[in-house]
Amino acid sequence: MAEIWQYRGLIGNFASRELKSKYKHSVLGWAWSLINPAATLLVYAVVFSVIFKASPPPAQNGMTAYVLYLFIGLVAWNFFNNVVTGGMASLIGAGPLLKKIYFPAYAPVIGNAFSAMVQTLIESAVLLVVLSAVGNAEWTFIFVPFILALLLIFASGIGLLFALFNVYYRDVGYLVGVVLQMVFYATPVIWPPSELAGRTHGALALHIISVNPLFQYVEGMRDALWTGQAPSLSRWGWMVLAAAVSIAVGMVVFIRGSRDVSEEL
Amino acid sequence: MSIEPSSLHGPAVVVDHVTKEFKLYRDRRTSLKERFTKRRPSRYDMFKALDDVSLEVPAGSTYGLIGSNGSGKSTLLKLMANIHRPTSGSITHSGRISALLELGAGFHPELSGRDNVYLNGSILGMSRKQVDAAMDSIVGFSGLEQFIDTPVKVYSSGMYVRLGFSIAVNLDPEILIIDEIIAVGDEEFQRRCFDHLYELRKRGVTIIFVSHSLPLVQTLCDRAAWIEKGVLRSEGPAMQVVDDYIAVVNQSERDRFEAEGHGRSDGDRTRRGGGEITVTGLTFLDASGEPTLAATSGEKLTVRIAYQAQEPIDDPVFGLAFHTEAGVLVSGPNSEFDHAQISRVSGSGYVDYVLDELPLTPSTYLISAAITDRTLLHVFDYRDRAFTLAVQPGSSPDRNGVVTLGGAWSTAGDASKLDVPTVRSESLR
Repeated sequence: MAEIWQYRGLIGNFASRELKSKYKHSVLGWAWSLINPAATLLVYAVVFSVIFKASPPPAQNGMTAYVLYLFIGLVAWNFFNNVVTGGMASLIGAGPLLKKIYFPAYAPVIGNAFSAMVQTLIESAVLLVVLSAVGNAEWTFIFVPFILALLLIFASGIGLLFALFNVYYRDVGYLVGVVLQMVFYATPVIWPPSELAGRTHGALALHIISVNPLFQYVEGMRDALWTGQAPSLSRWGWMVLAAAVSIAVGMVVFIRGSRDVSEEL
Repeated sequence: MSIEPSSLHGPAVVVDHVTKEFKLYRDRRTSLKERFTKRRPSRYDMFKALDDVSLEVPAGSTYGLIGSNGSGKSTLLKLMANIHRPTSGSITHSGRISALLELGAGFHPELSGRDNVYLNGSILGMSRKQVDAAMDSIVGFSGLEQFIDTPVKVYSSGMYVRLGFSIAVNLDPEILIIDEIIAVGDEEFQRRCFDHLYELRKRGVTIIFVSHSLPLVQTLCDRAAWIEKGVLRSEGPAMQVVDDYIAVVNQSERDRFEAEGHGRSDGDRTRRGGGEITVTGLTFLDASGEPTLAATSGEKLTVRIAYQAQEPIDDPVFGLAFHTEAGVLVSGPNSEFDHAQISRVSGSGYVDYVLDELPLTPSTYLISAAITDRTLLHVFDYRDRAFTLAVQPGSSPDRNGVVTLGGAWSTAGDASKLDVPTVRSESLR
């Protein structure tokens, strides 16, 4: 832990290097960081609200605009996704450097997580502005930073694990891509859990699916931003526990496994 | 009174019975699919890059690592820099390490020079504040003021390494580890690098470096270690270690030439020529005209070249070449340049080359002898470094360098009273 603090400058620099180099020399620059999620949002919104006629539970102000409901879920999902997939790429990318200079191998992975955080904060800011504009502002907005912080910790732990495995077995990256796609549909990003509740065995299915920590983070965000209520205590408990276990396991495994990582890269 | 840094802090780096093995895979499993589909375990050989190496680098000293390519020097450097972990044994250091295993290794091409300085500084464990404090000296030293805010991808390779070197040496290192990289940049920058290294040395920074430039190791280093095939062959004062190394390299080179059967026997490394007339031997005669094996510096020496002509030869030219053991040609006199006419030779005989005062400093020299025609183009016989001359200390106290210049010192009193301009050593900073 002390070492992480000592190398905070390096972690910060990895994060800013990622951010600065990402959109450099592109005409739209930073706008790309919003255009990508906006395009995804548009596609899903059209497909699921027009074609599949998904209807979310009413928001705190009574609206049922699926596109905004989806937006909240996508912000949380993209954050998780960027931390995990970007973490693998960042460690491989830092390979040549790790062979030349000593620094902790988790620094680029954590740095990537923070750069994803910045991206998420920008998206969240847009989200908050839009929600306020349509009259769905609520005091529960203050929970958002806490939920995102827990999600950052949770995702970083998972990201560290996969980044390390990916060094030893390069097809972990592809495998993770497949798994993430399945997890995406197992998480209520595009579908409202309320849709499931009414079906046969729906309650049981919901119970099983809510074991997935991402279910809690996404629904936590919806509590704070959509229905305007504080997440339940059990939800907080789940989110904290998942974050703590993930980062503890991720850190321990990563530090043990990365001692010879400079030889494998 | 000067304080010996080493007595204050003890060693800066202690390498204690370090062994490093690398796995050399014959068929590497790099994917999960292979892991599950192939039954046989991954096959690999162990390669011992370092074998039970122990040494101490005194704090404040400059330490050289020498040895042939692939001997394990760079591996040791990487272990010292914490990049790899020893298989067994331990390495401990006292002080912050700044490793220069490749200049500009951490540069991101899209970022500006200034951003890269921050990035590189933080990789070396510095805070932003510390980098800020050193920024001016880094930029000044690199001489890239004009380009520091442009992306480094447009830098030339020279600019790249200059910035990299500037960062590493200006970030107040305590232990500086350098891998054969000073030979970069133009002459002016190289001199500045050496100046700076001397400066760091004076400040008590421990410097450890790998180099194939033996004269550099001898002049810059206090101590040195010679590693061969992963084993520590010799460790001690730099002068002595380099001498040991050169002696063995020379010996193995001679052995190799012999094994390859170069030349026409008699152990010559290379002997070439038409053979119409051959050098049959070289004899050294001392001041009293007696044959000797070891000459004395500053005294009369006669080098007698014995020849055997198969046929009468008109206008032959006799030549000699004096080399140091490191291979530097000290002098190459021949009878043509010295306008000594040797009109016609036949049968066997000898030619003398007389030095009234041998100007060579005490050491061992390798001597070539050659006979060519008057144009110097047709070689009758050329025996490259076939003979060895040992020079002993004589009356001249000169011990530095290769030759005694024989100049005299005088003092003219206060230099400021002189009318003539004095020669100053040019400031390089």
